Amino acid sequence: MGHEEADLISQCQMGDQAAMKEIFDKYRDKVYRVAYGVVRHREEAMDIVQEVFVKLFRTIGNFKGKSSFYTYVYRTAMNTAIDHVRKLKKSTSLSFEDEAERYLSDGPEKRPDQVAMDKELEEKVKGALAQLPDDQRAAIIFREVEGLSYQEMAKAMGCSLGTVMSRLHYGRKKLQQLLRGYVKEGGKT
Amino acid sequence: MKDSCSSISKLLEKYFDRETTGDEGVLVEDHLRQCAACQAQLKSMEELRATLRTPVDKAVQKETFAWVWQKVEREIQDRPKPSWRESIRAWFGSSFPFRRRVWIPAVAAALLIIAIGSPLLFKETPSQTELSIVEYVQSDTNNVMVFESEKENVAIIWLFEGTEGDSST
Repeated sequence: MGHEEADLISQCQMGDQAAMKEIFDKYRDKVYRVAYGVVRHREEAMDIVQEVFVKLFRTIGNFKGKSSFYTYVYRTAMNTAIDHVRKLKKSTSLSFEDEAERYLSDGPEKRPDQVAMDKELEEKVKGALAQLPDDQRAAIIFREVEGLSYQEMAKAMGCSLGTVMSRLHYGRKKLQQLLRGYVKEGGKT
Repeated sequence: MKDSCSSISKLLEKYFDRETTGDEGVLVEDHLRQCAACQAQLKSMEELRATLRTPVDKAVQKETFAWVWQKVEREIQDRPKPSWRESIRAWFGSSFPFRRRVWIPAVAAALLIIAIGSPLLFKETPSQTELSIVEYVQSDTNNVMVFESEKENVAIIWLFEGTEGDSST
């Protein structure tokens, strides 16, 4: 964590709104990517972004700087997104059709059959991700969507590098099986 | 699938994630040149990554976060004012000297210094009334000097024989 960020965090801890806005601007895309990666739904992802930052700023006094702030942010984002999905499973199902219609189409130039295929694939991906254990899903999102290194993932997930690699391996293997027909499975098992 | 695939399989994912060392990378690339199965595996991982990442990339480009910040800001401001106890706890938690709980060893050290120092500070000094008495008696044969301490009941007597020397008992 650089001095600049440490200063910003200290200011946030003292309740400085401008510093909080800077932190928000710096991390909002990362939080959104994690959230969307997990829920595959725009409005839900935005709700998660809001929840994550409210949590972060309300508990920022507890941040002692023992770990990097970005790992603290990623961990909070992932836990919030996974909790969100868990709660959602218990209540209602999302209107995925509308969501996919609005956000998967690239505009009028895209052919309707392509839009339908994208929609179907995205629905399949969402279903497949939901079937992964939480730790494998977190590893997959951190690596495949957010592009974190193994070291960064280990810090964010609080585990060893070996565990990161194992979670990624089994997560990928399971996703390839679940998405058979949409994603090629590779030349070996 | 070749026999050598099993030895390379662990490295293949590391290679795909750009986590191999230089030597490991060379090993994987040499193997990939001659193994269609591992090439297909690599391709499959690339496809999976694109399937997961592309919709996220598209979605994030379309978002505007201004209204989210407004909501976050409102929620933080709406938070009920902390009680004086919470404020004190927050101050102790965030103020630099207290952040790392340095006050615990500091208080312990202060108590230790007080414990060691208090006997020295409050030690009784000899009172001015406990004066020693010195008496000097002169005679023709001997001169005598008597030193008497009140506190410890000690008496020292010097006998001087003329002017040549002295002795004490």
